[in-house]
Amino acid sequence: MTKIKSARYHKGEQTKLSNLKKGQKAKVVFLNTEDKALRRRLLDMGITEGVQIKIKKIAPLGDPIDIEVRGYELCLRKFDMSMIDVEVIS
Amino acid sequence: MRIALIGNQNSGKTTLFNLLTGTNQKVGNWPGVTIERKLGVIRGTDFEIIDLPGVYSLSPYSIEEEISRKFLFEEPIDLILNIVDSTSMERSLYLTTQLLELGIPMIVTLNMMDIADKRGIHIDLKTLEKRLDTTIISISALKKTNVFNLIQYIKMGDYRQNYYHHIYDHELEDGIASIKEATSSLHSQFLAVKLIEEDPTFTKYHTKETKKIVDDLGKGYMRDMEQVIADERYRYIENIRDEAVTAKKDQTTWTDRIDNVLLNRFFAIPIFMVVMFGIYYLAAGPIGGYTVGIVGKYMALFSDWTRNLLVGFGASPWSVSLVVDGMIAGVGAILSFLPQLIILFLLISLLETTGYMSRVAFFLDRIFQKVGLSGKSLIPFIIGSGCSVPAIMSARTINDETERRMTIMLTPFIPCSAKLPIITLFAGYFFKENSGLISASLYFFAIGVIFLSALIMKKFWFKGKHSSFILELPEYKLPSFRFVTYDVFDKVKAFIKQAGSIILLASIVVWFLISFSWTLQYGINPNQSILASLGKVLAWIFYPMLGTSSWGAAVSAVQGLVAKEQIIASMAIISGYSDTTTEGVLIFGSSVFSFFTPASAYAFMVFNLFSAPCVAAIAAMNKELGTTRKMWQAVLFQTGLAWILAVLVYQIGHLIEVIL
Repeated sequence: MTKIKSARYHKGEQTKLSNLKKGQKAKVVFLNTEDKALRRRLLDMGITEGVQIKIKKIAPLGDPIDIEVRGYELCLRKFDMSMIDVEVIS
Repeated sequence: MRIALIGNQNSGKTTLFNLLTGTNQKVGNWPGVTIERKLGVIRGTDFEIIDLPGVYSLSPYSIEEEISRKFLFEEPIDLILNIVDSTSMERSLYLTTQLLELGIPMIVTLNMMDIADKRGIHIDLKTLEKRLDTTIISISALKKTNVFNLIQYIKMGDYRQNYYHHIYDHELEDGIASIKEATSSLHSQFLAVKLIEEDPTFTKYHTKETKKIVDDLGKGYMRDMEQVIADERYRYIENIRDEAVTAKKDQTTWTDRIDNVLLNRFFAIPIFMVVMFGIYYLAAGPIGGYTVGIVGKYMALFSDWTRNLLVGFGASPWSVSLVVDGMIAGVGAILSFLPQLIILFLLISLLETTGYMSRVAFFLDRIFQKVGLSGKSLIPFIIGSGCSVPAIMSARTINDETERRMTIMLTPFIPCSAKLPIITLFAGYFFKENSGLISASLYFFAIGVIFLSALIMKKFWFKGKHSSFILELPEYKLPSFRFVTYDVFDKVKAFIKQAGSIILLASIVVWFLISFSWTLQYGINPNQSILASLGKVLAWIFYPMLGTSSWGAAVSAVQGLVAKEQIIASMAIISGYSDTTTEGVLIFGSSVFSFFTPASAYAFMVFNLFSAPCVAAIAAMNKELGTTRKMWQAVLFQTGLAWILAVLVYQIGHLIEVIL
C-alpha cells in the first residue's frame, strides 16, 4: 500500500485518484492500470481520459471508495484508484 | 422471430421480460440478478424472447457476461431489444453503440424515464432517435407504461433498420472499412472493431491481411488501440448527450441522504449487524417458534384424525403406521416450519429489492479483502440464507477466479432456510427464552467460520494475489409489493413441493427401515430395526460431539444429504415410533433423543450447519467449480471442519455445564 499524503490537493494539481478527499472533483489524465482486463473494464465503465470524477462516498473502513462518473456511482478499491492519474478540478 | 433482450446490469431487463411474457422471473436491485439466459414467449404472439445477463460492454469481464456476448455473436437473432437506463445514459449508450455494430435490427427502450424525470434529467427522444438512427420507445417497466406500444412496434415490424453511423475519426473508420472488406462475417463491423482492439477471443478471425491493417493503425496512433476505441466511442456519446440530454447537476438525492446514515463511518457495520440479527431473531426466534407451535398442534390433530379414520376403515396396523407415523410425521414436521420460513423469505426479499445489499458489499469489501474474498461474496452469502443453490450460482458475478471459488465453497456455511427448522427446533427447546438470541448467534458463528476458513484457504491453497472490486451502486428503490409477493410465493411453493416429493419419499424409506428388522419382521422394537443397526455403524463418529452413542442422531444427520430439513423429518419419525405420545411430536421427550443437553444440542446444530450441504447444493458446487475433484475437496473440507467445530463446541460447552 502506498503512503497517503494527508494534505488536501488543490485545483490544477496532478495526483492519483486515490488521494482525493470526499467531495473533490478531478479530471482523468492517464490510466496506468497494468492488468489489461481491469483496464478494459475501467474504460468500459466510462473512465476514459478527460472524464470528470467526483468522490462521493468513502466506505467506513476507508476502502473501497464510491465515485460519481458519467452520472452514476461506481465503487473501486483504493489500490486500483492509485493507478489513475488525475488533475484536480475542485 | 427471435428477440434478444439486452442492457446494462440492473437496468430492468428482467422486469420488462416478465411484463412481455407474463412470467415471474426473479428480479432484484443489485447488478447481476440474471446469471443465465432465460427463454420466454411474448404474450399474444409467437415471438421468442431471450433475457440475457446484463453487460456493460461486449468485452466480458465475468462468466455471466460472456454468456451474453457469445449468444449475440453466434446465435441467429432477428431483433435486439436494448434496454437503456435513462438515469445513466452515457454508460448505457456505450453498450448501445456496440450493439449497433452487430448489424442486427434494434429497438432501444428507454427505461426508468419517470425516475430520470424526478432527478431533473430530460431526454429529447426525437434527437436521440435521429442521431442513433434507431427506433426509440420510452417505457417504465415497473409502472408498466407503454409496454403495450412496444409489443405493437415489434408485431408490426415498425422499427428502423439502423444504418451504421460514423463513430470514430476518419483514420479509424478507414481501417475498419478495409478490415470489413478482408473478412466475411454476419457481424463484420463488430468483428472489425474487435480485431482492432486485439480482443483475445477474436484473434482466431485474424488473417495476414487484417493483421497488417491493425498493425499499421497502431503505428499511426502510437497508443493502445483498445483505449483509442473506448475514448472515441465515449466522445461520440458525449456529443449525442450534449444534443439530446439536459440534466441538473449536483443534486442531493434521497439515495445520498439514506446513504449518509447507512454508510456512516461509525454506524454502517452496527446497522448491518442489527439488520441481520433482526432477520434471524424474527424468523427463528420467539415469533417463528410461536407459529411452529400453532401449526404443530393442527398437524397433531390431523394426524389423530387420519389414524382414527384409517382404523375405522379397518386398515391393517402397518398401513396405518405407514401413513401416520411415516408420511404425516415426516412431512408434517417440516410443514410446521412454513410460517416462519415465509417470514424469512419475506425479509430476505426486501433486502434484495431495496438496493441495500450492494451497500453492504461496498462497506464490507475491506474486511472480505483481508481474508481473500471480495465484497461481492456477500451477495451469495445473503441469498444463501434462502437457499444455497441460487447463491452458489450467483457467485458468477465475481470476476476473480480464486475469490469465486472460495465463495462457492463457503456459501453453504450460511444457514439456509432448510437449516432453519433444525435451528428453531433445537434452540426453541433447549434455550427457551433465549431461542432468538441463539438462532441469531448461529448466523454470526457462520460468518466467523467463513472468515476463518477463508483465511485457512488463503494460507494453504490459494496463495494471495491482488484482485479488484468494481461494483455499481444502484439507487435505493421502494420494494414492489408485486415482486416481493411473487418471490416469496415462489420459494414457498418450492419448499412445499420438496416436502411433498423428496421428504415424503425419504420419510417412507425411513419408516420402512425403522419398522422392519433385517429379517423383514414387522412390529419390532425400534432398537432392533434396520435403521438402528445402520445408525449404530455410524454412531461413533458423532460420539465426541454428543457425549453418547446415539444411532438416532447419527442416522438423521446423514439424511441431511437428502435435504437438511429431512433431519427433522427423520427425528420426528424415529421419536414418534419409540414412544406412543400422540400429543404432538415431542422429539426430545422420546427415549431416543432425551440425552440431548444444551451443549450437545448446540454442537449437533453446528455440525448440521457446516457439514456437507444437501445433494442439490453439492451438484451446484460441482457445476460451478468445474471439476468433480474440486467438488469433493469442498465437501470434505466442509464436513471435516464441521466435525471439528462441533466437537469443540460440545467439549467446551460440556465443561461449562459440569462446572455450573
